[in-house]
Amino acid sequence: MTVRFYHIALLGAALGIGSAAQAQSVAVVAVPPLSTPDDKQTPAGGSLAIAWQASQLIAQDLRTTSEIMPLPPVQKDYYSYPEVTAPSFPKWRSKGAKFLVTGFVQARSDDRITFGCYVYDVDRGREVARKGYVVAPGEWQRAAHRCSGLAYTAVTGAPGIFDTRITYVAESGVGTGRIERIAIMDSDGSNHRYLTKGGTMVLTPRLSPSARRIAFVSYVNGRPQVRLLDAESGAERPLVPNDAISFAPRFSPDGRRIAFSMMQSQNSDIYVASAEGGPAQRLTTSPGVDTDPSFSPDGTKIVFESDRSGSQQLYVMDANGAGQRRISFGGGAYASPDWSPDGEWIAFTRRQPGGRSIGVLRADGSGERLLTSGPGDEGASWAASSRELIFQRSDPSGNASLYRISLDGSEPRSVALPQGASDPDWSGVTE
Amino acid sequence: MMRILLALLALGTAASASAQIRAPGIVKRVIPGLRQPPGPVAPADVLRADFLAKTGGDTIFFGNNVSGLSAPARTTLAAQAAWLRQHPDVLVRIEGHGDTGDTRNHAIAMGARRAEEVRSYLVLLGVPAGQVTTTSMGKERPGSPRAVTVLVQ
Repeated sequence: MTVRFYHIALLGAALGIGSAAQAQSVAVVAVPPLSTPDDKQTPAGGSLAIAWQASQLIAQDLRTTSEIMPLPPVQKDYYSYPEVTAPSFPKWRSKGAKFLVTGFVQARSDDRITFGCYVYDVDRGREVARKGYVVAPGEWQRAAHRCSGLAYTAVTGAPGIFDTRITYVAESGVGTGRIERIAIMDSDGSNHRYLTKGGTMVLTPRLSPSARRIAFVSYVNGRPQVRLLDAESGAERPLVPNDAISFAPRFSPDGRRIAFSMMQSQNSDIYVASAEGGPAQRLTTSPGVDTDPSFSPDGTKIVFESDRSGSQQLYVMDANGAGQRRISFGGGAYASPDWSPDGEWIAFTRRQPGGRSIGVLRADGSGERLLTSGPGDEGASWAASSRELIFQRSDPSGNASLYRISLDGSEPRSVALPQGASDPDWSGVTE
Repeated sequence: MMRILLALLALGTAASASAQIRAPGIVKRVIPGLRQPPGPVAPADVLRADFLAKTGGDTIFFGNNVSGLSAPARTTLAAQAAWLRQHPDVLVRIEGHGDTGDTRNHAIAMGARRAEEVRSYLVLLGVPAGQVTTTSMGKERPGSPRAVTVLVQ
């Protein structure tokens, strides 16, 4: 019954070609249960049990995408270890699968596990990707997420987002009892934990490319100032050794620099400093508010917002501050730009009399369109795939929560969290 | 007999009351028949009440996306400056607030600009620069665009 449904979906996609709606093609990917050469015990359970759970997790990961329809694992499709690298293509062709994910989980003598992952093009009958991961048994989920990413990339050409992290500000309590903590989790919501205690107001956590460090704004000294937080140890230090108001930090793609805003008298300009400390270099000098810098993925350019024209608009400059030019020209205000990891798009928050909404445009200012209707949306951050964004949505009474939205025009989806949430930041693929 | 006992009791209460409030360096007259305040009054609260009474308010309001001072704002700040000059030992912090509908970081900048505008005006009116610090609350505390003068001692 399930199989027939996918046949119909596939047929529908095929018939849809040429229609005005231009249906997005959805690839059917078979994920039969992973194999094991020998069912050995590990601290996280037997290798066969891990293999079964891992195949379910892979199917679950792929189901969250709009490009892939997974055929979920069923016990009767279990294959032997030798068949991992010699699958039966006609069988999967007859089920309508375009791609096939196989793999194995093997307990090693050093108490770790080897996680093998293989992706096949079923029509052509050949392997398109393979990767092996050696992890602690308790980290099999991360290996499974990476296997999902390998399959996603093989099918779509875009990086998979399953082994990525999301940081945000957890908000609980009301009024003077309001507590704000920096939280971090895997992109599927697992491994959720708090990194700060909640006695100090915190804003805008931003992950380093390795997701090991977080630049954020803290009121620990009474004024908003950029600080760096080690996600593992919890150790903190100020970014620049002065008492000026500083905010809006973002890492460069190589993780070595941090662009941010700093106030000097009434003037907010954009600066860049080494993530290891040292003096800050000033990049903008216009009077007024220049803020929210975001690097291009190759690190050579920075998009930012400035009200130098009289209203907030988006500007692009070289990473040393040269060649500043305006790229947005619409009414209202444009703010909080974030450059997509593939370099194609810049997401922004647009303020109009009706409220705030999320949109995208290209770095040359073309192709502008709004993705959400607001009225309380802001602070979009790209997924590593460059096909999806996470953002903050506030209701009329000011309660904020997080949503994900795809570029394909579908409705935003709420992210389930234990409490209110603001200022999300989505990491790239961490290796 | 009963009348004498009552008088003694009354005397005793008065004596112990005056002993309680006789702290080193502070001499306070106890006036019979006058109701005493419910507890010790913190000097900060007294100062704050005096500041509010003499200046007409601790809050300066701004238009949306504006950091310039209105005429009523200048009047209030002139009174604040006069009070601060008379109390050079009282430090104040100006807390600037951004617009609630603004985006996170632009609101921080606007709050900082408003606080700095207030501080500059107070300094212009003769308040020593070292007496006034600033911060920005961005849009983290709901309310109108404003700058609040907070006594920090």
